[in-house]
Amino acid sequence: MKPFHLLSFLPGPLAVALVAALLPAGAVRGEEAAGLVLIPAGVHEPVLRGQDEPRQVAVAPFLLEARPVTNAEFLAFVRDQPKWRRSRVAPLFADAGYLAHWAGDLELGPKAPAEAPVVRVSWFAARAYAAAKGRRLPTTAEWERAAAAGFRGERGADEPEYRRVALGWLAQPSPDVLPAVGSRRASVHGVHDLLDLVWEWVDDFNTTMTTGESRGDTGLERTLFCGAGAAGAQDLTNYPAFMRAGMRSALRARYVVPNLGFRCALSP
Amino acid sequence: MKTHLVALSLLAAGALLAAPEIPAPCCRPAAPAAGPCCAPETKPAPAPCCVELKAERPLTERSLYQHDAVWTSDAGRPVKLASLRGEPVIVAMFFASCEYACPVLVHDLQRARALLAPEVRAKARVVLVTFDTRRDTPEALRAFRTRFELDSMWVLLRGTETAVQDLAMLLGVKYKLDARGQYAHSNLLTVLNAEGEIVHQHAGLMGDVSEVARKVAALVPVE
Repeated sequence: MKPFHLLSFLPGPLAVALVAALLPAGAVRGEEAAGLVLIPAGVHEPVLRGQDEPRQVAVAPFLLEARPVTNAEFLAFVRDQPKWRRSRVAPLFADAGYLAHWAGDLELGPKAPAEAPVVRVSWFAARAYAAAKGRRLPTTAEWERAAAAGFRGERGADEPEYRRVALGWLAQPSPDVLPAVGSRRASVHGVHDLLDLVWEWVDDFNTTMTTGESRGDTGLERTLFCGAGAAGAQDLTNYPAFMRAGMRSALRARYVVPNLGFRCALSP
Repeated sequence: MKTHLVALSLLAAGALLAAPEIPAPCCRPAAPAAGPCCAPETKPAPAPCCVELKAERPLTERSLYQHDAVWTSDAGRPVKLASLRGEPVIVAMFFASCEYACPVLVHDLQRARALLAPEVRAKARVVLVTFDTRRDTPEALRAFRTRFELDSMWVLLRGTETAVQDLAMLLGVKYKLDARGQYAHSNLLTVLNAEGEIVHQHAGLMGDVSEVARKVAALVPVE
């Protein structure tokens, strides 16, 4: 995908337009209308990594939805695919609290405004939604690469406002009724709500671990849940990324959480 | 703080998972079909013993055998996990070129099997599924079988990356390919009952595997 390396110098919207013009694949055309934003090639710097793992991971350009998936969008999906309705979903693929805040199988109700992000969905359900749309979930590296961008430039960590927003969200409890998607300031790439609306599923959340034999009972992984664990990190402004890593390491694919949603991605 | 609460609730959910589930007894009535209301009853009366009905009974809601990917055995044959239905199995994920953990994992499984009575051992299979979709060809798996002297009760499988990811998600196994080409992974033994439902999970290496053996033994009816 050579053209994308050249495109990485361009501002997001312009690059999207160029990609749409250059690529023959119909799926990539008109992505702005489809809610997608091009995230140019970049790097992901994992806050936790094994002994021999590189400090930076290259991330190829990809398309990311500018907003998390809403209740209304997920409702359309479960209308289409009955096996993902609340009363029908197999417990193997989603825990008991799946869509518990909806008024019914096909009814959102007051706790799930149509334009609020859908939450209480399992990884399996999120992935099925993405697949039905011809998309996929972003990888950890992709999601973190997008979220590391600031409001003005590629390095959010250098922007006081970015740090304030990212840390501020962690310090506040999530409201019972979530606000609408897109209500949060967009990143330099035009992606909303990455820092301060909900946690989000990633495709490979189960790669988050720190040692070869890690599983719950190792000291390194346990420290993830503890704020003090961040003291060992090189860059304390990465505290939100650290918390996300801790969150991911605690998840299992059928879990549902009141403030965990998702958005889709697409390879160009 | 929110994040701590979330972590705690997740841990609690994890503890729930570990709770043993009651194995399905033989001849349990089949789950009602999800057909339209008032569909005419066309099913024949159940046979005295349901062995012959087993194949057509729908999978249970918690059966891992809903994962219907087609795997390849070390003999090069296509295998669906549902073909293991009917007897308990122990499932673990590994990769054949593993330098440290996997030989120990196999040894743990052999220790657990050694604790089983011969009639139980003759029924309970061990399924080893590789993470390594690239290197673990059927030949590599055959070499692994020979090296560890694994008899026919051991099923060695490889699959697509999606199938491996799905199974790992269902089992709660974490894994990651590192820079040296080794997979960092959870060491987790999972006991499935005859229906493919998770009954017990054992984490870690070189631990006490007697509980694994007890759980498996409890799933084989005494004759």
